[in-house]
Amino acid sequence: MLFTTSPSIPCGSLKGGSSIHSRSDIIYSMAASSFTRCLVRSYFCVKCVDHVQTRLQTTTRMFCVSASRSSFVDAPKAQFTDTEVQDILTKITGLDLKKVFRPIRQQLTPPKYKLVTDTELEEAVRKAEEQAKHLLKMPPVLPERKPINDVLYEDQMLEGMDTAKYVFTDINFNVPHRERFIVVREPSGTLRKATWNERDRLIQVYFPKEGRKITPPPIFKEENLRVVFEQDRHEDVLNQCIVQFEPDSAEFKNVLMLTYEDIEKHGKYDLLRSTRFFGGLTWHLVNGRRIDGLLVDMLQRDLMQDAVRLVHLFNLVHPQSESAQQAQTQQATDLDLLKIYAQYESNRAGFIELAVQTCEQAKALSSF
Amino acid sequence: MVHLSSFLLKTYHGGHVVIRLALGGATNRPFYRIVAAYNKRARDSKYIEQLGSYDPLPNIHNEKLVAFNYERIKYWIACGAHTTKPVAKLLGLAGFFPLHPMTITEAERRQKAASIEEVKTDSQEQVEEAL
Repeated sequence: MLFTTSPSIPCGSLKGGSSIHSRSDIIYSMAASSFTRCLVRSYFCVKCVDHVQTRLQTTTRMFCVSASRSSFVDAPKAQFTDTEVQDILTKITGLDLKKVFRPIRQQLTPPKYKLVTDTELEEAVRKAEEQAKHLLKMPPVLPERKPINDVLYEDQMLEGMDTAKYVFTDINFNVPHRERFIVVREPSGTLRKATWNERDRLIQVYFPKEGRKITPPPIFKEENLRVVFEQDRHEDVLNQCIVQFEPDSAEFKNVLMLTYEDIEKHGKYDLLRSTRFFGGLTWHLVNGRRIDGLLVDMLQRDLMQDAVRLVHLFNLVHPQSESAQQAQTQQATDLDLLKIYAQYESNRAGFIELAVQTCEQAKALSSF
Repeated sequence: MVHLSSFLLKTYHGGHVVIRLALGGATNRPFYRIVAAYNKRARDSKYIEQLGSYDPLPNIHNEKLVAFNYERIKYWIACGAHTTKPVAKLLGLAGFFPLHPMTITEAERRQKAASIEEVKTDSQEQVEEAL
Protein backbone atom coordinates (compact mmCIF):
# COMPACT_ATOMS: atom_id res chain seq x y z
CA MET A 1 0.00 0.00 0.00
CA LEU A 2 1.50 3.29 -0.95
CA PHE A 3 0.55 6.93 -0.84
CA THR A 4 0.58 8.51 -4.26
CA THR A 5 -0.62 11.75 -5.67
CA SER A 6 -3.20 11.58 -8.37
CA PRO A 7 -3.23 14.48 -10.72
CA SER A 8 -6.43 14.99 -12.60
CA ILE A 9 -5.72 14.51 -16.23
CA PRO A 10 -9.00 15.06 -18.00
CA CYS A 11 -8.05 14.12 -21.51
CA GLY A 12 -10.42 16.47 -23.29
CA SER A 13 -12.90 14.65 -25.45
CA LEU A 14 -13.68 15.87 -28.95
CA LYS A 15 -15.04 19.36 -28.67
CA GLY A 16 -18.23 20.30 -30.43
CA GLY A 17 -16.45 22.91 -32.50
CA SER A 18 -13.63 20.72 -33.79
CA SER A 19 -14.37 19.34 -37.21
CA ILE A 20 -13.92 15.75 -38.28
CA HIS A 21 -11.51 15.77 -41.13
CA SER A 22 -11.54 12.32 -42.66
CA ARG A 23 -13.21 8.98 -42.10
CA SER A 24 -10.12 7.19 -40.85
CA ASP A 25 -9.43 10.12 -38.58
CA ILE A 26 -12.71 9.57 -36.73
CA ILE A 27 -11.40 6.23 -35.49
CA TYR A 28 -8.17 7.80 -34.25
CA SER A 29 -10.00 10.61 -32.47
CA MET A 30 -12.45 8.21 -30.86
CA ALA A 31 -9.54 6.31 -29.40
CA ALA A 32 -7.99 9.51 -28.15
CA SER A 33 -11.11 10.73 -26.43
CA SER A 34 -11.49 7.94 -23.89
CA PHE A 35 -10.95 9.20 -20.37
CA THR A 36 -7.88 7.82 -18.60
CA ARG A 37 -6.95 8.53 -15.03
CA CYS A 38 -3.23 8.25 -14.58
CA LEU A 39 -1.48 7.98 -11.28
CA VAL A 40 2.01 9.28 -11.39
CA ARG A 41 4.48 9.15 -8.58
CA SER A 42 5.27 12.82 -8.47
CA TYR A 43 4.61 15.60 -6.04
CA PHE A 44 3.28 18.06 -8.57
CA CYS A 45 -0.16 18.49 -10.03
CA VAL A 46 -0.12 17.80 -13.71
CA LYS A 47 -2.99 18.58 -15.98
CA CYS A 48 -3.25 17.59 -19.62
CA VAL A 49 -3.48 20.82 -21.51
CA ASP A 50 -6.53 20.94 -23.73
CA HIS A 51 -4.60 22.12 -26.71
CA VAL A 52 -2.22 19.18 -26.35
CA GLN A 53 -5.22 17.06 -27.25
CA THR A 54 -6.03 19.17 -30.28
CA ARG A 55 -2.37 18.97 -31.24
CA LEU A 56 -2.62 15.21 -30.99
CA GLN A 57 -5.69 15.34 -33.18
CA THR A 58 -3.74 17.41 -35.68
CA THR A 59 -0.88 14.97 -35.71
CA THR A 60 -3.19 11.98 -36.02
CA ARG A 61 -4.92 13.72 -38.91
CA MET A 62 -1.63 14.42 -40.59
CA PHE A 63 -0.49 10.84 -40.13
CA CYS A 64 -3.38 9.77 -42.35
CA VAL A 65 -2.21 12.20 -45.03
CA SER A 66 1.46 11.23 -44.82
CA ALA A 67 0.80 7.54 -45.31
CA SER A 68 -0.46 8.22 -48.81
CA ARG A 69 2.18 10.77 -49.73
CA SER A 70 5.37 8.85 -48.96
CA SER A 71 4.63 6.02 -51.35
CA PHE A 72 6.21 7.47 -54.46
CA VAL A 73 9.82 8.00 -53.28
CA ASP A 74 12.62 5.57 -54.24
CA ALA A 75 12.02 2.21 -52.60
CA PRO A 76 15.39 1.08 -51.12
CA LYS A 77 15.93 4.32 -49.17
CA ALA A 78 14.24 4.29 -45.76
CA GLN A 79 11.40 6.78 -45.25
CA PHE A 80 10.31 8.54 -42.07
CA THR A 81 7.08 6.58 -41.99
CA ASP A 82 8.61 3.05 -42.23
CA THR A 83 7.76 0.90 -39.23
CA GLU A 84 11.41 0.05 -38.63
CA VAL A 85 12.50 3.68 -38.71
CA GLN A 86 9.65 4.74 -36.44
CA ASP A 87 10.54 1.89 -34.07
CA ILE A 88 14.14 3.01 -33.80
CA LEU A 89 13.18 6.64 -33.33
CA THR A 90 10.68 5.88 -30.56
CA LYS A 91 13.23 3.76 -28.71
CA ILE A 92 15.87 6.48 -28.97
CA THR A 93 13.42 9.10 -27.68
CA GLY A 94 13.18 7.27 -24.40
CA LEU A 95 10.36 7.34 -21.91
CA ASP A 96 11.29 9.47 -18.91
CA LEU A 97 7.93 9.73 -17.16
CA LYS A 98 9.14 12.50 -14.90
CA LYS A 99 9.99 14.69 -17.86
CA VAL A 100 6.91 13.90 -19.95
CA PHE A 101 4.53 14.68 -17.12
CA ARG A 102 6.41 17.58 -15.67
CA PRO A 103 4.16 20.51 -14.79
CA ILE A 104 3.06 22.68 -17.69
CA ARG A 105 2.08 26.22 -16.88
CA GLN A 106 -1.58 25.59 -16.08
CA GLN A 107 -4.28 26.26 -13.58
CA LEU A 108 -3.36 24.19 -10.55
CA THR A 109 -5.77 22.08 -8.59
CA PRO A 110 -4.73 20.76 -5.20
CA PRO A 111 -3.24 17.27 -5.49
CA LYS A 112 -5.40 14.25 -4.73
CA TYR A 113 -3.88 11.49 -2.64
CA LYS A 114 -5.05 7.92 -3.06
CA LEU A 115 -4.34 4.80 -1.05
CA VAL A 116 -3.65 1.93 -3.45
CA THR A 117 -2.41 -1.65 -3.44
CA ASP A 118 0.80 -2.62 -5.20
CA THR A 119 -1.02 -4.18 -8.15
CA GLU A 120 -3.12 -1.07 -8.60
CA LEU A 121 0.02 1.02 -8.52
CA GLU A 122 1.61 -1.10 -11.25
CA GLU A 123 -1.56 -0.81 -13.28
CA ALA A 124 -1.47 2.95 -12.82
CA VAL A 125 2.17 3.18 -13.90
CA ARG A 126 1.38 1.09 -16.96
CA LYS A 127 -1.49 3.40 -17.87
CA ALA A 128 0.79 6.38 -17.36
CA GLU A 129 3.30 4.84 -19.75
CA GLU A 130 0.59 4.37 -22.38
CA GLN A 131 -0.49 7.94 -21.93
CA ALA A 132 3.12 9.06 -22.22
CA LYS A 133 3.50 7.11 -25.46
CA HIS A 134 0.44 8.88 -26.79
CA LEU A 135 1.91 12.25 -25.82
CA LEU A 136 5.19 11.31 -27.45
CA LYS A 137 3.70 10.78 -30.90
CA MET A 138 6.08 12.38 -33.38
CA PRO A 139 4.98 15.23 -35.62
CA PRO A 140 5.15 13.95 -39.20
CA VAL A 141 7.89 14.79 -41.69
CA LEU A 142 6.15 15.48 -44.99
CA PRO A 143 7.49 16.81 -48.29
CA GLU A 144 6.94 20.53 -48.66
CA ARG A 145 3.58 21.41 -50.19
CA LYS A 146 3.64 22.66 -53.75
CA PRO A 147 2.23 26.16 -54.35
CA ILE A 148 -1.26 26.36 -55.88
CA ASN A 149 -1.38 28.29 -59.15
CA ASP A 150 -4.71 27.13 -60.53
CA VAL A 151 -6.72 29.66 -62.52
CA LEU A 152 -10.34 28.68 -63.09
CA TYR A 153 -11.63 31.55 -65.25
CA GLU A 154 -10.16 34.59 -66.92
CA ASP A 155 -12.84 37.23 -67.50
CA GLN A 156 -11.40 40.42 -68.93
CA MET A 157 -14.86 41.95 -69.18
CA LEU A 158 -15.05 42.09 -65.38
CA GLU A 159 -11.96 44.23 -65.09
CA GLY A 160 -12.33 47.18 -62.75
CA MET A 161 -15.62 45.99 -61.26
CA ASP A 162 -14.28 46.40 -57.73
CA THR A 163 -11.14 47.51 -55.93
CA ALA A 164 -11.09 44.58 -53.50
CA LYS A 165 -10.74 40.84 -53.97
CA TYR A 166 -13.66 38.52 -53.20
CA VAL A 167 -12.72 35.34 -51.35
CA PHE A 168 -15.32 32.55 -51.44
CA THR A 169 -15.05 29.72 -48.93
CA ASP A 170 -17.10 26.55 -48.79
CA ILE A 171 -18.33 26.20 -45.21
CA ASN A 172 -19.73 22.70 -45.52
CA PHE A 173 -18.98 20.86 -42.28
CA ASN A 174 -18.46 17.42 -43.80
CA VAL A 175 -15.64 18.38 -46.16
CA PRO A 176 -12.03 17.74 -45.02
CA HIS A 177 -10.01 20.96 -44.88
CA ARG A 178 -7.60 19.80 -47.54
CA GLU A 179 -10.42 19.37 -50.06
CA ARG A 180 -12.29 22.55 -49.26
CA PHE A 181 -13.02 24.92 -52.15
CA ILE A 182 -11.53 28.35 -51.51
CA VAL A 183 -11.47 30.60 -54.57
CA VAL A 184 -10.50 34.22 -55.05
CA ARG A 185 -11.98 36.64 -57.60
CA GLU A 186 -9.39 39.30 -58.32
CA PRO A 187 -10.32 42.87 -59.36
CA SER A 188 -8.87 42.03 -62.77
CA GLY A 189 -11.62 39.44 -63.22
CA THR A 190 -9.61 36.22 -62.87
CA LEU A 191 -11.08 33.49 -60.69
CA ARG A 192 -8.24 31.52 -59.11
CA LYS A 193 -7.78 29.03 -56.30
CA ALA A 194 -6.49 30.50 -53.04
CA THR A 195 -2.81 30.12 -52.09
CA TRP A 196 -1.81 27.95 -49.14
CA ASN A 197 -1.37 30.93 -46.82
CA GLU A 198 -4.80 32.29 -47.72
CA ARG A 199 -6.31 28.84 -47.23
CA ASP A 200 -4.80 28.43 -43.77
CA ARG A 201 -5.95 31.89 -42.73
CA LEU A 202 -9.52 31.46 -43.96
CA ILE A 203 -9.93 27.97 -42.53
CA GLN A 204 -8.83 29.42 -39.19
CA VAL A 205 -11.44 32.21 -39.60
CA TYR A 206 -14.36 29.89 -40.28
CA PHE A 207 -13.24 26.78 -38.37
CA PRO A 208 -11.09 28.13 -35.59
CA LYS A 209 -8.69 25.74 -33.90
CA GLU A 210 -7.66 26.34 -30.33
CA GLY A 211 -4.23 27.85 -29.91
CA ARG A 212 -3.84 28.83 -33.57
CA LYS A 213 -3.68 32.52 -34.42
CA ILE A 214 -4.73 34.00 -37.76
CA THR A 215 -1.43 35.81 -38.28
CA PRO A 216 1.59 33.83 -37.05
CA PRO A 217 2.89 35.28 -33.75
CA PRO A 218 6.18 37.20 -33.89
CA ILE A 219 8.01 34.49 -31.92
CA PHE A 220 8.65 32.70 -35.20
CA LYS A 221 10.80 35.51 -36.58
CA GLU A 222 14.52 34.72 -36.63
CA GLU A 223 15.69 37.37 -34.14
CA ASN A 224 13.06 36.33 -31.60
CA LEU A 225 13.87 32.67 -32.12
CA ARG A 226 17.48 33.38 -31.27
CA VAL A 227 16.44 34.98 -27.97
CA VAL A 228 14.23 32.02 -27.12
CA PHE A 229 16.99 29.53 -27.94
CA GLU A 230 19.34 31.31 -25.57
CA GLN A 231 16.80 30.70 -22.85
CA ASP A 232 16.76 26.98 -23.70
CA ARG A 233 13.04 26.98 -24.48
CA HIS A 234 13.18 24.97 -27.68
CA GLU A 235 10.36 22.70 -26.66
CA ASP A 236 7.89 25.54 -26.08
CA VAL A 237 8.68 27.02 -29.48
CA LEU A 238 8.21 23.65 -31.14
CA ASN A 239 4.90 23.06 -29.37
CA GLN A 240 3.64 26.43 -30.51
CA CYS A 241 4.90 25.76 -34.01
CA ILE A 242 2.94 22.50 -34.22
CA VAL A 243 -0.26 24.24 -33.14
CA GLN A 244 0.20 27.20 -35.46
CA PHE A 245 1.41 25.73 -38.76
CA GLU A 246 0.49 22.79 -40.95
CA PRO A 247 3.15 20.03 -40.99
CA ASP A 248 3.93 20.39 -44.67
CA SER A 249 4.10 24.18 -44.80
CA ALA A 250 7.32 26.03 -45.49
CA GLU A 251 7.21 28.01 -42.23
CA PHE A 252 6.83 24.84 -40.15
CA LYS A 253 9.84 23.21 -41.79
CA ASN A 254 11.84 26.42 -41.49
CA VAL A 255 11.21 26.76 -37.75
CA LEU A 256 11.99 23.09 -37.17
CA MET A 257 15.21 23.39 -39.15
CA LEU A 258 16.33 26.47 -37.22
CA THR A 259 15.61 24.75 -33.90
CA TYR A 260 17.47 21.59 -34.86
CA GLU A 261 20.44 23.60 -36.17
CA ASP A 262 20.66 25.55 -32.94
CA ILE A 263 20.45 22.40 -30.84
CA GLU A 264 23.16 20.74 -32.84
CA LYS A 265 25.39 23.80 -32.71
CA HIS A 266 25.30 23.90 -28.92
CA GLY A 267 24.90 20.17 -28.33
CA LYS A 268 21.73 20.59 -26.28
CA TYR A 269 20.31 17.23 -27.30
CA ASP A 270 19.08 16.44 -23.84
CA LEU A 271 16.50 19.23 -23.97
CA LEU A 272 14.43 17.24 -26.41
CA ARG A 273 15.32 13.77 -25.18
CA SER A 274 12.02 12.50 -23.78
CA THR A 275 9.79 14.73 -25.88
CA ARG A 276 8.00 14.06 -29.14
CA PHE A 277 10.48 16.11 -31.17
CA PHE A 278 13.48 13.87 -30.63
CA GLY A 279 12.54 11.64 -33.54
CA GLY A 280 12.33 14.58 -35.89
CA LEU A 281 15.68 15.90 -34.65
CA THR A 282 17.36 12.53 -35.19
CA TRP A 283 15.84 12.18 -38.64
CA HIS A 284 17.05 15.64 -39.64
CA LEU A 285 20.58 14.90 -38.43
CA VAL A 286 20.69 11.47 -40.03
CA ASN A 287 19.61 12.88 -43.36
CA GLY A 288 22.31 15.51 -43.12
CA ARG A 289 24.87 12.86 -42.11
CA ARG A 290 25.76 14.78 -38.98
CA ILE A 291 25.13 12.27 -36.23
CA ASP A 292 28.57 12.62 -34.62
CA GLY A 293 27.52 15.15 -32.00
CA LEU A 294 24.46 13.15 -31.03
CA LEU A 295 26.43 9.89 -30.94
CA VAL A 296 29.08 11.39 -28.66
CA ASP A 297 26.37 12.80 -26.39
CA MET A 298 24.71 9.37 -26.12
CA LEU A 299 28.00 7.65 -25.34
CA GLN A 300 28.76 10.23 -22.67
CA ARG A 301 25.47 9.42 -21.01
CA ASP A 302 26.13 5.66 -21.28
CA LEU A 303 23.24 5.01 -23.66
CA MET A 304 24.93 2.23 -25.61
CA GLN A 305 21.75 0.71 -26.98
CA ASP A 306 20.57 4.07 -28.27
CA ALA A 307 23.91 4.71 -29.94
CA VAL A 308 23.77 1.33 -31.68
CA ARG A 309 20.22 2.02 -32.85
CA LEU A 310 21.29 5.40 -34.17
CA VAL A 311 24.03 3.88 -36.29
CA HIS A 312 21.61 1.21 -37.49
CA LEU A 313 19.20 3.97 -38.55
CA PHE A 314 22.02 5.75 -40.36
CA ASN A 315 22.78 2.57 -42.29
CA LEU A 316 19.12 2.16 -43.19
CA VAL A 317 18.82 5.69 -44.50
CA HIS A 318 22.13 5.75 -46.38
CA PRO A 319 22.53 2.24 -47.74
CA GLN A 320 25.20 3.35 -50.20
CA SER A 321 27.55 4.71 -47.53
CA GLU A 322 30.71 2.82 -46.67
CA SER A 323 29.77 1.97 -43.13
CA ALA A 324 26.47 0.51 -44.29
CA GLN A 325 28.14 -1.63 -46.91
CA GLN A 326 30.77 -2.89 -44.46
CA ALA A 327 28.09 -3.70 -41.93
CA GLN A 328 26.22 -5.63 -44.61
CA THR A 329 29.25 -7.69 -45.59
CA GLN A 330 30.26 -8.42 -42.01
CA GLN A 331 26.69 -8.82 -40.68
CA ALA A 332 27.73 -6.73 -37.69
CA THR A 333 25.57 -6.17 -34.66
CA ASP A 334 25.75 -3.97 -31.55
CA LEU A 335 29.17 -2.61 -30.71
CA ASP A 336 30.74 -3.78 -33.98
CA LEU A 337 28.36 -1.47 -35.83
CA LEU A 338 29.69 1.41 -33.76
CA LYS A 339 33.27 0.41 -34.51
CA ILE A 340 32.63 0.21 -38.24
CA TYR A 341 30.89 3.55 -38.21
CA ALA A 342 33.73 5.11 -36.24
CA GLN A 343 36.23 3.70 -38.71
CA TYR A 344 34.63 4.81 -41.93
CA GLU A 345 32.32 7.75 -41.50
CA SER A 346 32.90 9.59 -38.28
CA ASN A 347 35.03 12.68 -37.62
CA ARG A 348 35.44 11.89 -33.95
CA ALA A 349 36.60 8.35 -34.42
CA GLY A 350 38.91 8.41 -31.41
CA PHE A 351 36.26 9.25 -28.88
CA ILE A 352 33.80 6.70 -30.21
CA GLU A 353 36.36 3.90 -30.23
CA LEU A 354 37.42 4.75 -26.69
CA ALA A 355 33.80 4.69 -25.51
CA VAL A 356 33.21 1.34 -27.23
CA GLN A 357 36.30 -0.12 -25.55
CA THR A 358 35.22 1.07 -22.08
CA CYS A 359 31.80 -0.42 -22.67
CA GLU A 360 33.27 -3.76 -23.68
CA GLN A 361 35.50 -3.78 -20.61
CA ALA A 362 32.52 -2.98 -18.39
CA LYS A 363 30.59 -5.86 -19.97
CA ALA A 364 33.50 -8.24 -19.51
CA LEU A 365 33.86 -7.20 -15.85
CA SER A 366 30.17 -7.57 -15.12
CA SER A 367 30.06 -11.02 -16.69
CA PHE A 368 32.64 -12.33 -14.21
CA MET B 1 -38.19 13.81 -46.22
CA VAL B 2 -37.92 16.34 -49.01
CA HIS B 3 -38.83 19.91 -48.14
CA LEU B 4 -40.87 20.83 -51.18
CA SER B 5 -41.43 24.56 -51.04
CA SER B 6 -45.17 24.32 -51.59
CA PHE B 7 -45.41 21.51 -49.04
CA LEU B 8 -43.75 23.70 -46.42
CA LEU B 9 -46.06 26.58 -47.17
CA LYS B 10 -49.46 24.96 -46.60
CA THR B 11 -50.50 27.92 -44.47
CA TYR B 12 -48.46 30.39 -46.46
CA HIS B 13 -50.27 30.88 -49.74
CA GLY B 14 -48.41 32.61 -52.51
CA GLY B 15 -45.16 32.69 -50.55
CA HIS B 16 -41.93 30.91 -51.29
CA VAL B 17 -38.50 30.35 -49.82
CA VAL B 18 -35.81 32.86 -50.76
CA ILE B 19 -32.06 32.87 -50.35
CA ARG B 20 -31.22 36.45 -49.44
CA LEU B 21 -28.93 38.69 -47.43
CA ALA B 22 -30.01 39.50 -43.86
CA LEU B 23 -28.32 42.65 -42.55
CA GLY B 24 -26.57 42.68 -39.19
CA GLY B 25 -23.58 44.39 -37.66
CA ALA B 26 -23.38 47.87 -36.14
CA THR B 27 -23.61 51.55 -37.16
CA ASN B 28 -21.48 52.21 -40.26
CA ARG B 29 -20.41 48.58 -40.15
CA PRO B 30 -22.72 46.30 -42.17
CA PHE B 31 -22.45 42.51 -42.16
CA TYR B 32 -24.71 40.21 -44.13
CA ARG B 33 -25.77 36.65 -43.44
CA ILE B 34 -26.81 34.60 -46.45
CA VAL B 35 -30.00 33.01 -45.30
CA ALA B 36 -32.82 30.77 -46.51
CA ALA B 37 -36.06 32.35 -45.27
CA TYR B 38 -39.70 32.70 -46.18
CA ASN B 39 -40.44 35.45 -48.64
CA LYS B 40 -42.89 37.38 -46.46
CA ARG B 41 -40.77 37.40 -43.31
CA ALA B 42 -38.98 40.56 -42.18
CA ARG B 43 -35.47 40.89 -43.57
CA ASP B 44 -33.61 40.23 -40.31
CA SER B 45 -36.11 38.09 -38.48
CA LYS B 46 -36.47 34.33 -38.07
CA TYR B 47 -34.98 32.37 -40.96
CA ILE B 48 -35.05 28.69 -41.85
CA GLU B 49 -31.30 28.14 -42.18
CA GLN B 50 -28.14 30.19 -42.46
CA LEU B 51 -26.21 29.32 -45.57
CA GLY B 52 -23.23 31.64 -45.30
CA SER B 53 -22.05 35.16 -44.71
CA TYR B 54 -20.82 38.19 -46.62
CA ASP B 55 -18.62 40.96 -45.27
CA PRO B 56 -18.88 44.01 -47.58
CA LEU B 57 -15.93 45.88 -46.01
CA PRO B 58 -12.48 44.73 -47.18
CA ASN B 59 -10.02 43.52 -44.53
CA ILE B 60 -6.29 44.18 -44.06
CA HIS B 61 -5.45 42.03 -47.06
CA ASN B 62 -8.00 43.90 -49.22
CA GLU B 63 -10.33 40.91 -49.31
CA LYS B 64 -14.11 40.79 -48.97
CA LEU B 65 -14.86 37.52 -47.23
CA VAL B 66 -17.81 35.52 -48.49
CA ALA B 67 -18.76 32.10 -47.17
CA PHE B 68 -21.19 29.71 -48.89
CA ASN B 69 -22.45 26.30 -47.84
CA TYR B 70 -22.80 25.00 -51.38
CA GLU B 71 -24.36 21.68 -50.37
CA ARG B 72 -27.24 23.35 -48.56
CA ILE B 73 -27.68 26.02 -51.23
CA LYS B 74 -28.06 23.22 -53.77
CA TYR B 75 -30.64 21.57 -51.52
CA TRP B 76 -32.73 24.71 -51.11
CA ILE B 77 -32.63 25.54 -54.80
CA ALA B 78 -33.75 21.98 -55.46
CA CYS B 79 -36.67 22.61 -53.07
CA GLY B 80 -37.72 25.59 -55.17
CA ALA B 81 -36.04 28.53 -53.41
CA HIS B 82 -35.46 31.77 -55.30
CA THR B 83 -32.31 33.86 -55.00
CA THR B 84 -32.28 37.63 -54.78
CA LYS B 85 -30.18 39.81 -57.08
CA PRO B 86 -27.21 40.41 -54.74
CA VAL B 87 -27.02 36.73 -53.83
CA ALA B 88 -27.17 35.77 -57.51
CA LYS B 89 -24.39 38.26 -58.25
CA LEU B 90 -22.19 36.87 -55.49
CA LEU B 91 -22.79 33.30 -56.61
CA GLY B 92 -21.94 34.36 -60.16
CA LEU B 93 -18.67 35.90 -59.01
CA ALA B 94 -17.94 32.71 -57.07
CA GLY B 95 -18.36 30.61 -60.17
CA PHE B 96 -21.29 28.62 -58.78
CA PHE B 97 -23.84 30.39 -61.01
CA PRO B 98 -23.10 31.84 -64.44
CA LEU B 99 -22.06 35.49 -64.28
CA HIS B 100 -24.94 37.88 -63.64
CA PRO B 101 -25.51 40.26 -66.56
CA MET B 102 -25.64 43.28 -64.24
CA THR B 103 -22.14 42.48 -62.97
CA ILE B 104 -20.86 42.74 -66.50
CA THR B 105 -22.93 45.85 -67.20
CA GLU B 106 -21.63 47.56 -64.06
CA ALA B 107 -18.07 46.64 -64.92
CA GLU B 108 -18.50 48.10 -68.42
CA ARG B 109 -20.07 51.27 -67.02
CA ARG B 110 -17.15 51.71 -64.64
CA GLN B 111 -14.63 51.16 -67.40
CA LYS B 112 -16.41 53.76 -69.54
CA ALA B 113 -16.48 56.24 -66.66
CA ALA B 114 -12.80 55.58 -65.98
CA SER B 115 -11.85 56.18 -69.64
CA ILE B 116 -13.87 59.45 -69.76
CA GLU B 117 -12.03 60.57 -66.60
CA GLU B 118 -8.72 59.79 -68.23
CA VAL B 119 -9.57 61.74 -71.37
CA LYS B 120 -10.66 64.68 -69.20
CA THR B 121 -7.45 64.76 -67.16
CA ASP B 122 -5.35 64.37 -70.33
CA SER B 123 -7.04 67.33 -71.98
CA GLN B 124 -6.68 69.38 -68.77
CA GLU B 125 -2.97 68.61 -68.66
CA GLN B 126 -2.60 69.60 -72.32
CA VAL B 127 -4.34 72.90 -71.68
CA GLU B 128 -2.06 73.57 -68.67
CA GLU B 129 1.04 72.78 -70.72
CA ALA B 130 -0.06 75.10 -73.52
CA LEU B 131 -0.41 78.01 -71.06
